[in-house]
Amino acid sequence: MGGPRLHQTGAPNMSQRAHEVGAAQRRLRVLHLDIDAFFVAVEVLRDPSLRGLPVIVGGTGKRGVVAAASYEARAYGVHSAMPTSIARKRCPNAIFLHGDHGRYGEVSAKLHEVFRTVTPVIEPIALDEAFLDIGGAFRLFGDGAAIATTLRNRILDELGLASSVGVARNKLLAKLASEAAKPKASRDGTRPGRGVVVVAVEDELDFLHAHPIRGLWGVGPKTHERLAAIGVHTIGDLAKIPTDALCATLGRASGQHLSQLSMGIDDRPVVSGRGAKSISHEQTFPTDHHDLEALHGVVVRLADAVSARVRAASLAASTVQIKLRFGDFQTITRSVSPEDELTTATQFIKAASTLLNDPELVAAIEERGVRLLGLGAANLASPIGLQLSFDAQLDATNDVSSTAGGGSDADWAEVTETLDDIRARFGDAAIGPGRLVNAREPGPGRELWGPQADKR
Amino acid sequence: MKFRCERDLLLGVLSTAGRAVTGRGGALPVLSGVRLEANDNQLVATGSDLDLTIRSTIDVAVETAGATVVPARLISEIVRSLDVGAVEIEVTGDEARVTSGRSQFAVRTLPIDDFPRLDPPAGEQVSVPADDLAAGLKQVVLAASSDDARPILTGVLMTAEEGGLRLVATDSYRLAVRDLPDATVLGEGQKVLVPSRALGELIRVLGSAKEVHVRLGERDVTFDVAPEDGAKVQLTTRLIEGEFPNYRQLIPASYPNELTVGRETFLDAVRRVKLMAREATPLRLTLSEDSLELMAVTQDVGEAHEQLDASYSGAELTIAFNPDYLIAGIEAASGDEVTLQTLDALKPAVLRTSEGPDYLYLLMPVRVS
Repeated sequence: MGGPRLHQTGAPNMSQRAHEVGAAQRRLRVLHLDIDAFFVAVEVLRDPSLRGLPVIVGGTGKRGVVAAASYEARAYGVHSAMPTSIARKRCPNAIFLHGDHGRYGEVSAKLHEVFRTVTPVIEPIALDEAFLDIGGAFRLFGDGAAIATTLRNRILDELGLASSVGVARNKLLAKLASEAAKPKASRDGTRPGRGVVVVAVEDELDFLHAHPIRGLWGVGPKTHERLAAIGVHTIGDLAKIPTDALCATLGRASGQHLSQLSMGIDDRPVVSGRGAKSISHEQTFPTDHHDLEALHGVVVRLADAVSARVRAASLAASTVQIKLRFGDFQTITRSVSPEDELTTATQFIKAASTLLNDPELVAAIEERGVRLLGLGAANLASPIGLQLSFDAQLDATNDVSSTAGGGSDADWAEVTETLDDIRARFGDAAIGPGRLVNAREPGPGRELWGPQADKR
Repeated sequence: MKFRCERDLLLGVLSTAGRAVTGRGGALPVLSGVRLEANDNQLVATGSDLDLTIRSTIDVAVETAGATVVPARLISEIVRSLDVGAVEIEVTGDEARVTSGRSQFAVRTLPIDDFPRLDPPAGEQVSVPADDLAAGLKQVVLAASSDDARPILTGVLMTAEEGGLRLVATDSYRLAVRDLPDATVLGEGQKVLVPSRALGELIRVLGSAKEVHVRLGERDVTFDVAPEDGAKVQLTTRLIEGEFPNYRQLIPASYPNELTVGRETFLDAVRRVKLMAREATPLRLTLSEDSLELMAVTQDVGEAHEQLDASYSGAELTIAFNPDYLIAGIEAASGDEVTLQTLDALKPAVLRTSEGPDYLYLLMPVRVS
């Protein structure tokens, strides 16, 4: 089987004249980039003594889950989304960290700056992962392989982060290619990855068909089970099944979709994900909360963390969402879009509290208990600014105004700027909401991955 | 009641009186109507929403005196649709018949006894030059709030100031102050708060008149306007009760930075750059030595830049404003040049005109990161 070609192209020389990129190469316009073990890599940058050790970032409480694991920890079978309790059993020597999403957000923003030097058409998938449409960049920077290498080198030089890049004709193949480029963990140590994998058009099917069906979007545990039952394990197996037969097994929509993907057909464009993006944090409690007051405390903590990430990414939110999972596992979300854009924790707290104080919700919380609370910022865009008003001065005299105690949004914007400065200089734990000062340790309040969660 | 009138004149009085009809009457359906009274060869059309009442009077040929109330919007539409020429209106029972040429309409009238009775205006009559008042009001009314949740800010403060009249309005984002040194309307120390909506209507009717007669009552104020040609208009509005905020303390005593720029040039440039300030994005002004740079950037849309010659003394500064608020201030300022004085990017800026110290427009910036 002729595997994908690895192009060993050096970084293109920017001073050269326009690059001549052939027609076959021009078809490979989707680039997928993913930082290797992102959260862990950021932690290692902060504390180089962690390098080469099994490091696990995630929730450390009774119901915590793994957010990221170093390759050294992965060698023990630890992977993300695994309950922390299992990760502890598999890798008892691992260093468990709470994570610092404010910092990850900042690094992510820098990563996107590097992306933007190549193309404005960027579809963010996660903090450390994005699709880039490089169709407009060939003349300037050369073919996909050259662009991938440039990006990878720049991210390593400027941010100190290793990444894996896939380049192909569409998203499906580019994503699989970046996975193929990644380092592999094993008990004998981490095998370095190829870094950049380019899937040429003529190699597509060979490349694709060798992959297990798990690699396809739309193949969850259920589908996987059904396909395994009819002897389908690789994408190649899947491609041999007639579409009709697949539809009979999986249903029409799913069958047709997978049939297309198994042929390497994926027409989804790379869309700049603005507006669709959201930033959210959630916390699972060791024991269910029935008490609204306690939840408000969590809201303060989550709002602090989410708003810090929103600001770190130079964004503002138009919508605030809360997510509640009740003791009986029913999960609901509620959202509100206030008139002004939101950037400060105070604004998020105000909006989330309004949602949480809905009498119907309060009754449900008290009766059924809350297992998980999440807070999200959605409809993100560059902040447009806050129209200042005379209200503060007018209040001081005699006019009745709308701002009820606790300072205006403008005051809070100023306070928040100072807070961000202090955190940038002295660390996230240096300052935080007063409400959290007395949070018990190591009680539920300390389990959040947020700017103020303790590091060790 | 029966009278005849030229279509254009009739439409004029109906429209003017109809501007007070807002349909806000709610509980009082008769307020959706305009009251017509024919007497002594005069027609008086009256519209009201209880807060504001507008009466418009013209000479007509009255055959039979009388009064009625007809649906304001409907009667205006009917008269507007008619050809130019004489219109006859005759009321019999609860029906008003409108006839013009070969067109004929019969409109059901509203119960006239329900229509609010307006007391004749009280108070001493004072006269003010109409064009001065119109110009002053135009510069100030624009800064008043339209948010009924803050009734005091929907008014324009009229106050006696050093023998003249001072007009003040703020919507909490900007503040406009205009002095009319020659207008003596109020007694020393007297001040009233007049709904800006009523003053907006007053500006409309001041038009070609020479003088406006003002009578200040206990709870309301009445303006009488008699243009040389056309209908006489009387506008009565209730006053807003309550204390206007202490606006003086909003105006900084001094400004370290001062920019002077040609008004038309500035206005044109702001309007151009505003095209790229979409979705409530502010306009950024960078003030530096002898230059003013305007910039607007809207995500996913694009950006605009423009550089203007200007004289500037002070520290280099970037300050952002809501472009509409800025345009309103520059338009209102009049004169060949305007000065923009600033403290810093978060403090109110003041716009003045080269024409003199009588006008001031204070504007809060937009806080951008």
